[in-house]
Amino acid sequence: MKKLPIELTINGRAHELLVSPKETLLNVLRERFHLTGAKYGCGIGECGACTVLLDGLPVLSCQLLAVMCNGKKVVTIEGLSPQEAAAHPMQDSFVEEGAVQCGFCTPGMVISATALVEEKSEPTTEDIKVALRGNLCRCTGYENIIRAVKTGARKMKEV
Amino acid sequence: MKKEFQFLGKDFPRKEGRARANGFEKYPSDLYFDNMLYGRILRSPYPHARIKSIDFSEAEKLGAVCVSYEDAPGKRFNLRLVSVPKATYKDWQLFSDHMRQVGDFFGAVAAETEELAEQAARVVKVEWEILPAYMSMDAALAAKDNLIHDKVFLEDQEIKIKNNIACTREVVEGDIEAGFQEADVIVETEFETPRQYHCQLEPRSCVVRPEADGGITVWPTTQAVHNTRILIGSVFNLPLNKVNVVRITGGGHFGSGIHTNPVTLITTALALKSKRPVKIVQSREEDMYDHVRYPSKYVLKVGARKDGTLVAGHMRAYIDIGCHHIQALAYLGVMSGFWHSLYRMENMKYEGTAVYTNKVPTCAMQGYGAPQVTFGVEGTMDMLAEKLEIDPIQLRIKNYVGLGEVFWGQGPTVKSPIFSDGVVELLKKGAESIGYYKRPGSQKQTGRYRRGIGFARGFHTSGTGAPVPGEVKDYTTVQVKVNEDGTIDILTALMDHGGGTLDAAAKIVAEEFQVPFDKVGISPADTRSTGYDVCTHATRGVYCGAGAAHEVAKKTKDVLLEYAARYLDAYPDSLIFSYDEKSGQTRISVWGNPEKTTTIAAVAEHAMNKDWGTAIYSKSIRKVACPPAYTNYFVEVEVDTETGHVKILRVVAGSDAGTVINPILAKGQLHGGFYRGAGMALLENTSYDDKTGCLTNKGSMIDYKMLGIDEMPDPDDFEVIFADTYEPTGPMGAKGIGEAAFNPAPAAVTSAICDAIGIRFTKLPILPEDIMDALGEGHDK
Repeated sequence: MKKLPIELTINGRAHELLVSPKETLLNVLRERFHLTGAKYGCGIGECGACTVLLDGLPVLSCQLLAVMCNGKKVVTIEGLSPQEAAAHPMQDSFVEEGAVQCGFCTPGMVISATALVEEKSEPTTEDIKVALRGNLCRCTGYENIIRAVKTGARKMKEV
Repeated sequence: MKKEFQFLGKDFPRKEGRARANGFEKYPSDLYFDNMLYGRILRSPYPHARIKSIDFSEAEKLGAVCVSYEDAPGKRFNLRLVSVPKATYKDWQLFSDHMRQVGDFFGAVAAETEELAEQAARVVKVEWEILPAYMSMDAALAAKDNLIHDKVFLEDQEIKIKNNIACTREVVEGDIEAGFQEADVIVETEFETPRQYHCQLEPRSCVVRPEADGGITVWPTTQAVHNTRILIGSVFNLPLNKVNVVRITGGGHFGSGIHTNPVTLITTALALKSKRPVKIVQSREEDMYDHVRYPSKYVLKVGARKDGTLVAGHMRAYIDIGCHHIQALAYLGVMSGFWHSLYRMENMKYEGTAVYTNKVPTCAMQGYGAPQVTFGVEGTMDMLAEKLEIDPIQLRIKNYVGLGEVFWGQGPTVKSPIFSDGVVELLKKGAESIGYYKRPGSQKQTGRYRRGIGFARGFHTSGTGAPVPGEVKDYTTVQVKVNEDGTIDILTALMDHGGGTLDAAAKIVAEEFQVPFDKVGISPADTRSTGYDVCTHATRGVYCGAGAAHEVAKKTKDVLLEYAARYLDAYPDSLIFSYDEKSGQTRISVWGNPEKTTTIAAVAEHAMNKDWGTAIYSKSIRKVACPPAYTNYFVEVEVDTETGHVKILRVVAGSDAGTVINPILAKGQLHGGFYRGAGMALLENTSYDDKTGCLTNKGSMIDYKMLGIDEMPDPDDFEVIFADTYEPTGPMGAKGIGEAAFNPAPAAVTSAICDAIGIRFTKLPILPEDIMDALGEGHDK
């Protein structure tokens, strides 16, 4: 199958790539750039572990072909923090609130949570439950995750 | 009673948290090596079949490296090496021509890319002989020929299999016939629990890299690096110092990594044949055909006197173990143990039968046999309380196995006395907090939505340690070293599943040395650089694992004290450690002589410069008890009598974990344990299409069905109460928590549903359609 040229900005850096039309965004991020923060949990858009930001909106990178992302900006968990030296306030909140157990769902959770707070600066418990419904966590029972998103929202206001 | 600690009992952000939240933590599926091949496993589309021939020629034309039963070592083994050899049934082979479930593996291919490996797997040609499949225990038990296994090995003794019975176990104490004659009331009920799937977020995966010295390095999804090393060495005839298994974070285990996953052996076979690094990441569908919780079906008969004293019990269990042994004998043993150790009963008889079927092999999942048994035992206690007209909480308090008694939760070979017990405190506080005695009950409610409050109690052993050796191995090796700047490194093969086991070890060592938590590090570990650790399972992480770290830390501290005594010209016994919050330094001082004082860092550096040596110690530690970590849940639910939907409104968890190391993480264990337990009660099961032998969820997580974030109670409605206890045999008073957090949850949810609508369910999960049927409303099929 003929490869196609695309342009992708990943975590602020522009890249020109030749991709197969079948290649998913998740595969490009993991296999080519070894940005393994976006995880493979199901491959069919059920678990949310592959969530990244595409032009600022949370998307399931296992459900997007790389060619569909031509010319767009991708932010992965590794590039979420605007400052290189410090973590994003949402990442800090997940750690402080005990919302990180095995950690496999955490990158996707943090990305979805950040996108929620960007849209709604003081999310209610109900807002959080709706926004994170597509991110599965098998460890935490979600209780500390809900707390972490609220704390993260407060911290994001302070920044 | 609790002691005062500098660091324990206070919330700390976990050490691994930052790497995980920032996306830098590496899991097996995240590893990439130069020259690495990608593997794909060849699997049976039939539940029971034999392979007549296999043709790899088309796959080889694509450049694929292929392995199958034709080049398998042929050895029989058990994937789970936690039990001692004489209690280990062996019915696995690396590859076989006998396929025993849909998804069974007969070979594998590796190629330059994942896509090419997939293509190669598709062009492998196989000629099949289809055999009759046994998709139920009844069908399997009726079979005379075409058995799922003809013979298996117990250690090295060959055993002929009859009627697909994998093994049986009987445990007797006292005389049940005499016991039942003393009973005024007898309750006999059949209970059934589901084949719950672990659904850990990372599918089981592995990377294996051949090394220049002829050895291999292995990065598996496992809870037991040393057992993985030993199994690989044995299967492939490799010296153990050539098999280096690396401890790497796994994306959740819940018991699915106690045994070595087949993918680990398959990846090793491909790497050895190709002489290149190989990686296999299983698809979610493959993972669902890989492992599942032991379901249980049992008849439980319990007799009691009028005053509520239990006098006799009889449990007859049939366990559909799927197509392989992952230690079903141990499972039968713990079923008897968890039952016997919940409530005192002089006369008891347990009869367990493990039956092979052409389904996914069953293994441990959080709680092992405890949630299964607790479901029936707690249901029976509620029924007895009703018949005897005794308050259900009082009936438990009268009969539970507690302080000063001997219990054997992990089966009859693991007997251990009880030194700490917060059961009564937790039951009383839980009942008070949720308003148990103010509940309306099912009789007084009408209307669409009915509310109910229920509870259940249970426990898990903290590990499998006991005063005498038994069927199960249990020890951990740890090295603790003080660096020349006063920081400390802990080296051990102990694993963390996400609950914070290693964090707890670091915190306990920090407390022992009175150094700040951030000065204690956990060293990267692999099997080449560490002594044996059995496995992080059986809720042994904190009590046995961190307990071993504590014992070794004390020895290391003795070495440091010797150096400090020389340095300060005093006697070691007169030295005291104290943490000075202002300077962030840990001081060593001579009592009564305040001018004689120094720091850990100064002593360690001085000892090096004077060639006294490093303050370091290493030892294997076996715990000689396995104290019960008690848990109870009080739950309030709302049942929609028009849809059968159950909503969990409120949870009050009670946990007796002894000293709580890190409350925020301990609470997380209870949140998560309850969530998975409530899932087992309300949704989770894997069922099969009898004709095709396929899972009806077709490998989809959504169709498997778990509780979602929107089905859990709000954080403010999930209260956690910790008992005020101190375990004298534990590290600084601590016991386990992990599995205890799960065990009573399914029973508690069931009890709450009964309180709401007056119907006691004895089979899990309780689906909305089951509720509608039970209410006499029926449902659309």
